[in-house]
Amino acid sequence: MEQLTVVGKPVTRVDALEKVTGEAVYGYDLVLPDMVYGKVLFSPKAHAKIKRIDTEKARKFPGVVAVVTGKDAPWIHGESIRDKPFLAQDKVRYIGEPVAAVAAIDEDTAQAAARLIEVEYEELPVYVDPEAAARPDAVAIHENFASYRKMNFITPGAAPNVCEHFKLRTGDVEQGFRESDIVLEERYTVPTIQHAAMEPHSAHAQVDPATGCVTIWVANDAPFRALHEISEALGMPKEKIRFINPLQGGGFGSKGGLKVEPIAVALAYHTKGRPVRVKFNREETFISTLVRNEAVVYIKSGMKKDGTLRARAMTIYWGGGAYAEKSPTVCIRGSLPGPGPYRIPHVKVDGYAVYTNKPVSGSFRGYGIPKVAWACEQHTDELAKKIGMDPLAFRLKNVFVDGDVSYWGEELHSVGLKETLTKAAEAIEWGKKVEVLPGSRVKGLKFGKGLACIQKPTRSPTTSSAGVIVNARGEVAVLAGTVEIGQGCNTILSQVAAEELKIPIEKIHMAQLDTDAIPFDASTTSSRSTYHMGNAVRGAAIDARDKIAAMASPMLEAKKEELAFADGKVFLKNQPQMALAVGDVIRRKLGAEGTVRGDASYTYEIAKDLDLETGHSDHASAFYMYATQAAVIAVDEETGRARLLRMSAAHDVGKAINPANCAAQIEGGLAMGIGSALHEHLVIDEQGKVRNPSFLDYHLVTALDLPEMVPIIVECAEPEGPYGAKGLGEPGLAPTPAAIGNAVADAIGVRVYDLPLSPERIFRAIQQKKKKTAA
Amino acid sequence: MNKKICITLNGKKTDLDVPTHRLLLDLLRDEIGLTGTKEGCGTGDCGACTVLLNGKPVNSCLIFSGELDGADIVTIEGLKIGPELHPVQQAFVQDGGVQCGYCTSGMLMMSKALLDENPDPSEEEIRFALSGNLCRCTGYAKIVKAVQDAAAELRARRSNAG
Repeated sequence: MEQLTVVGKPVTRVDALEKVTGEAVYGYDLVLPDMVYGKVLFSPKAHAKIKRIDTEKARKFPGVVAVVTGKDAPWIHGESIRDKPFLAQDKVRYIGEPVAAVAAIDEDTAQAAARLIEVEYEELPVYVDPEAAARPDAVAIHENFASYRKMNFITPGAAPNVCEHFKLRTGDVEQGFRESDIVLEERYTVPTIQHAAMEPHSAHAQVDPATGCVTIWVANDAPFRALHEISEALGMPKEKIRFINPLQGGGFGSKGGLKVEPIAVALAYHTKGRPVRVKFNREETFISTLVRNEAVVYIKSGMKKDGTLRARAMTIYWGGGAYAEKSPTVCIRGSLPGPGPYRIPHVKVDGYAVYTNKPVSGSFRGYGIPKVAWACEQHTDELAKKIGMDPLAFRLKNVFVDGDVSYWGEELHSVGLKETLTKAAEAIEWGKKVEVLPGSRVKGLKFGKGLACIQKPTRSPTTSSAGVIVNARGEVAVLAGTVEIGQGCNTILSQVAAEELKIPIEKIHMAQLDTDAIPFDASTTSSRSTYHMGNAVRGAAIDARDKIAAMASPMLEAKKEELAFADGKVFLKNQPQMALAVGDVIRRKLGAEGTVRGDASYTYEIAKDLDLETGHSDHASAFYMYATQAAVIAVDEETGRARLLRMSAAHDVGKAINPANCAAQIEGGLAMGIGSALHEHLVIDEQGKVRNPSFLDYHLVTALDLPEMVPIIVECAEPEGPYGAKGLGEPGLAPTPAAIGNAVADAIGVRVYDLPLSPERIFRAIQQKKKKTAA
Repeated sequence: MNKKICITLNGKKTDLDVPTHRLLLDLLRDEIGLTGTKEGCGTGDCGACTVLLNGKPVNSCLIFSGELDGADIVTIEGLKIGPELHPVQQAFVQDGGVQCGYCTSGMLMMSKALLDENPDPSEEEIRFALSGNLCRCTGYAKIVKAVQDAAAELRARRSNAG
């Protein structure tokens, strides 16, 4: 293989400069000429019929431009199930559901007017527990569910609130349990948490009165999918809808789909062409955008005395909140690999995505894996304990390796899992007692170590397309629909373009994302971009390079095959002094304003779709990501407080296109995982009300809360990935809570089954153990 | 109620006629058009809107404009030293202290305030100083390193100048 010049190097982020100077314009910063300001009236009831809405006072309030309710915006949207009105229609299903909206000359006026809208409700039974909501005799939260339009892979359950029932059937689990020497059954839970991206949600929209075209400015992580969803809802051709992406201040899964967009669009139809800005404040972002699915996981395993796994059955309830959003696909893609990266002959999984009267739940970095890993990986430690086996050795005995056929029927390759296990374990001196610095407090502290591993699929099949434009000054514009959400894609894709064109990275420019000008991309989700868009940009750059070579060939009096590229020049391989600058080639052929464009598209093809009865697929994912994280912890027995001393995180990325960025992604994911393990919990009471919708009460990790973090990059190349790359964005937080949970159990000698691992919970576990021992 | 105030904003005297209840954050972003200062929560809990008020770091979402007559305010737009990046800006770029960038302005202003007061902070002191500035992307490791590197650079400059 040709030597790589910029791929594989820790290149400085291409977007850092505009961000450290404050010049970068985010969605929340955007100002449009002549715009009006929208505010929303949110439902105070979790489940109720709307008897009456009176907007009269709001309409008459000075400065108000428009007032809209569900009657004025009779549209329904939804990605896999079309169930969500732009504004509540006839009933509300969670506290925080948008009921009406006002546009006015400024935000204060809009807010004051929104408060004047009167709504009369008739309350209905409220479901906050997904297991209760999933019962066959539960009252339907969506009465007309059967008539909703659904994607063809959706398989609703028999109970009225189960919007998706995923089934995996391999072998015969009952026989597997009979063949086992040891059978263990447990229940684990994961509460609701929130993405809490630092930039709150917002959207701007404008409807052109002359053409009817709708333009939406929003920091959405999947503008082409959002465009499709708006087009379906409005019944309007896609050509008349345009999404423009300002910069996004973090998303982590919360900014795909439609959140504030429908409200901005509903208002924009009533402002006579004036653009509308709708910004959610932090509290509104907490209650009315998206949260991570809560989950209840039942897991039962059977194994031989020597630790060979024979059977595993899982039942997983994914609390979906009031509307389906991405819960059905979280359920499918989270439940499928739920039993973990292990060779198990008999497997049965039932995953249920369940409507509740809580904030809408859906995609969050990790897409289900953190929840199943919390259960599966602690369960794995308990199994190892049953036979007195070291948890690392137990995993090394049972985990997938190259050539294994997974329990969903796919032959696996490029499995870097074992290497992540050994490296993560090594980094915390696995097997050795925790060493404490001389002089540190040890009295009353219990020390422990734990680790956990995961395998994560990516959304498949999907497509990414890209264009590359080279001009006569030798500068390059990359047209890619991947959204820079902070993960560093603009740097990675610039490196890919620079590598193939051999043009310095300083001359590569990432074009702004505008669906009118940029080729299609499925989404910036699922850790898919480096692989899919990396392949597309690479192909587009090669296409442009070939065209430039064809132009240069007569100029240099050589065949195309005799030419090579380096340092922004094209030259004769055997006579490097015979060279022309790439820009000069284009200028000579096409003039000073001439450009050469390359295009390419990459689709991961799947021969056979997921079988809806068995969950089997011969290619469930374009690639799989593997990771192991390991934790060293000190638990204060008196207070129950767990303090992390060190965490290692070994991630198989295929090929690190930018090792510095990989380390940054791992550290960031790890920090988020630590927060979700130790203190994050969006508390929702029995009435469905969020009790802590602020950063004062919802505890994100601060700079003081983190241990020493050791990111480790493992490179087990993926043949179809660009330069061997897989993905990395999501797994950073996926095994974290389970690794910490295992360390806590190692320290205190008793298991905690529910997240977060709060001091209270750990304290109670210690007390219960003491009671048991005393008895 | 409006009030006439005169402030020094990023080194320039500026006369303003502002509603007294207008928050400094909104004054900067909506009325003056300096959107480099970010709004993360509006309730003083995240630090994204940190600016320097008379040399001290404050959450600009907690300051009323009516109180500002005679104040000296520095925002992210005034952090550069002439055309050059301030060493904290340079270090955030070099060390990868920036991901989505939404917390970055606040982090930089808080870091500058720390280094103005304590030119040689320990890692613990840096983490303590930044503990009111939330970041959801980085896990803070690269940010802390950037502040350490900026401190070293500033000390080197001072000793060269001395």
